[in-house]
Amino acid sequence: MDEEYDAIVLGTGLKECILSGMLSVSGKKVLHIDRNSYYGGDTASITPLEELFAKFKQENPGEKYGRTRDWNVDLIPKFLMANGLLVKLLIHTGVTRYLEFKSVEGSYVYKQGKIAKVPVDQKEALASDLMGMFEKRRFRNFLIYVQDFREEDPKTWKDFDPSTQNMKALYEKFGLDPNTQDFTGHALALHRDDDYLAEPAVLTIRRIKLYSDSLARYGKSPYLYPMYGLGELPQGFARLSAIYGGTYMLDKPIDEIVLENGRVVGVRSGSEVAKCKQVYCDPSYVKDKVRKSGQVVRCICILDHPVANTKDALSTQIIIPQKQVGRRSDIYVSVISYTHQVSAKGWFIAMVSTTVETDNPENEIKPGLDLLGSIAQKFVSVGDYYEPTDNGLESQIFISQSYDATTHFETTCLDVLDIFKRGTGEDFDFSKIKQELGDEEQ
Amino acid sequence: MASTSTPEQKVILVGDFGVGKSSLFRRYMCDTFINSNDRKATLGLDHYSKTFVVNGRNLKLLLFDTGGMERIASVTSSYYKFAEAAILCFAMDNANSFHSLSQHLVDITMFAENARIFLCGNKMDLPSEVTDDDMQQFCEQCHGLIQGTFKTSCKNNLNINEMFTVIAQSLCETNRSRLELQELEHHGFKVHPPEENVENCSC
Repeated sequence: MDEEYDAIVLGTGLKECILSGMLSVSGKKVLHIDRNSYYGGDTASITPLEELFAKFKQENPGEKYGRTRDWNVDLIPKFLMANGLLVKLLIHTGVTRYLEFKSVEGSYVYKQGKIAKVPVDQKEALASDLMGMFEKRRFRNFLIYVQDFREEDPKTWKDFDPSTQNMKALYEKFGLDPNTQDFTGHALALHRDDDYLAEPAVLTIRRIKLYSDSLARYGKSPYLYPMYGLGELPQGFARLSAIYGGTYMLDKPIDEIVLENGRVVGVRSGSEVAKCKQVYCDPSYVKDKVRKSGQVVRCICILDHPVANTKDALSTQIIIPQKQVGRRSDIYVSVISYTHQVSAKGWFIAMVSTTVETDNPENEIKPGLDLLGSIAQKFVSVGDYYEPTDNGLESQIFISQSYDATTHFETTCLDVLDIFKRGTGEDFDFSKIKQELGDEEQ
Repeated sequence: MASTSTPEQKVILVGDFGVGKSSLFRRYMCDTFINSNDRKATLGLDHYSKTFVVNGRNLKLLLFDTGGMERIASVTSSYYKFAEAAILCFAMDNANSFHSLSQHLVDITMFAENARIFLCGNKMDLPSEVTDDDMQQFCEQCHGLIQGTFKTSCKNNLNINEMFTVIAQSLCETNRSRLELQELEHHGFKVHPPEENVENCSC
C-alpha cells in the first residue's frame, strides 16, 4: 500500500469500478480499495440467499426457497437499455466478453389499476387498450413523427423547433390527452417526474428514440439484464482495471483521506498511507463532502409465481406513472427470475422502488406491491440519496452520487462520464482501449 | 442468436499468486517464457483462444488469466462464471501453494459448479516440496472432482501442450453429452455492436 498512485478509488460499486477501469485504461496507476470483503458495494448481488435474510435481520430460511446459492439478489434493481450508454461502455471497453445477457420479456405501464403493454410502434399503438380509437390515431401520428425525426434535418421537424419549444407544446401539436402524455413521458421516455414538459422537446424525443432503438436490438422489450445479477457488472469493470494494471485491495478500512492545503495527497488505513494525486469514491467514504438530497424506498419481494397479466413473463418491468396514483414521482416494479440465474427454479424476485415523498415510505409503494399477488417474503429498505457538495476541482476528490430510483443505468453512466471529465479534464477516449486485447482469432 | 461456428469453452487458471498462472498463459498464447520476477508482467493478459482438433472436430479453448487480482484481493466471482474447465495450479517448489488448493477448489465448486477441474503442479524444473503421493492423496480427498493431474514446467516447456490437449479432449466428450441435455432456455447472449447485429438479422 505504501506506494504512490495517480488515483485511489474507494468503494467497488458500479460507478467506481467503471471509473477505475477507465482510469487504468487511460494509463493511470490506480489503487482500488473497498472496506468490504466483497466486490460491488451497494451494487453487489447478494448470494447465497441466507446472506440477504441476515442483512435484513430475518431468520435463516433454510431450504424453503430452494438451493440458497442459486440466488443472486440485487439491492438496487435496474435494467440496461439495449442501446443505452452502459451497453456502449461495455462494448467499447470489451467488458461485454465477461458477461452474458438476456432480454427482459415485457415492458408494461399502469393505468387505472391495471397494467398494459407499452406500445412503441404504429401497430402496437393501434392495438393498445390504453387509448380510445381517436386517441390511438393521434398517438400513432406522434410516433411516426418521432420515428422520422432527425435532429440534423430541420425538414423532419415539421414546423416545430424542438430545441426551443417545449414538450408540452409538442403534445399539444398532436392533440394527445393527459393520459397518453402520461405513459409517453414516463413509460417510453422514462422521465421520473413531469418537469420535462417545460423542457425542450428534443430531450424527450431522444429518449423515446432510445427506447425504440433499444427495443429494435433484441426484441421483446428494450431492456437487458445480465445472467447472475447486476453484481456481475462492477466485477467485469474491476477485471478490466486489473488487466490494465490496477491494484485491488478488499476488506481494508479507510480511516482518513489526507489533505494538504485543501488538496488530497493520500489515503490512510491504520498506520499505512498510500499517496495519490486524486481520489474517486462513493458518498459513504466522505460523509463531510456530501449532502442528503432525498430518499429512495426499495422493496425486494420473493414470489412463487409470475405477475398477473404479463403473459407469465419470467422477467418484466412495470412503470406506474406518478399521476396515476397521485404522486410526484413514478413507482417502478421490476421482476426477474431463475431464467436470469438469480433465483432457484420456480421463484421470482420482484422489486418495487420509488423516490420517498412522505414519512410512510412503505405505504407509498403499495400500488406496486398490490400488482404482485401473494408475496412469500418481503425486504423493505429506505436508502438516503446523497449528492456531493464538492465538485473535486480544488480538492481532487471526486464523489459519485448515490444510485437513484430509475430502473435503468442512463443517469448512472452520465454521472460516471461527468466525473471522469472533471477528474481528467477530458472526455473519455474510447479508442484508447485496444480492441481484442490478447484475443486473436486464428 | 445461435452460433454455428466452432464451439468455444471457457477455461480458467486458478491458484495462489506467483505459481506461474500467467506463465502457463503465455506458453499457451505464444509459446514464450519470461524469466524474471517482474510482477507487472501479468499486465494486459486477459484471455486467449486457441483451436484444438479432437476426433476430427474443432473445439476452441478460451483460456482466462486472473489479471493478477489475487495478489492482494480475491479474484471476482464473475471470473469463474461460465467456466467449463478450471486448471487448479500450484508450484511444485512451494508447499504453501499446494496447501491452499482446497480453498481454491471451494471457490471453483461454488461459482463454477459444472467446471471440470484439472490439477497442475507447475515449476517441476525446480526442487520439489510436493510429492506425487501428496498430489494423489489430494485427488482422493476431493472425491473424484479432479479429472486429471499434470506436472509442468513453463520454463522448459514441459507437458504444457499435452495438458491443454487432454483438457480439450475431455471437454469435447462432456460437451457432446451435455449439449444433448442442455436446456437452451438457460443461455444468455453477448451484447455486440449494432452493426454486427444487423448482419445477423439478415440471415
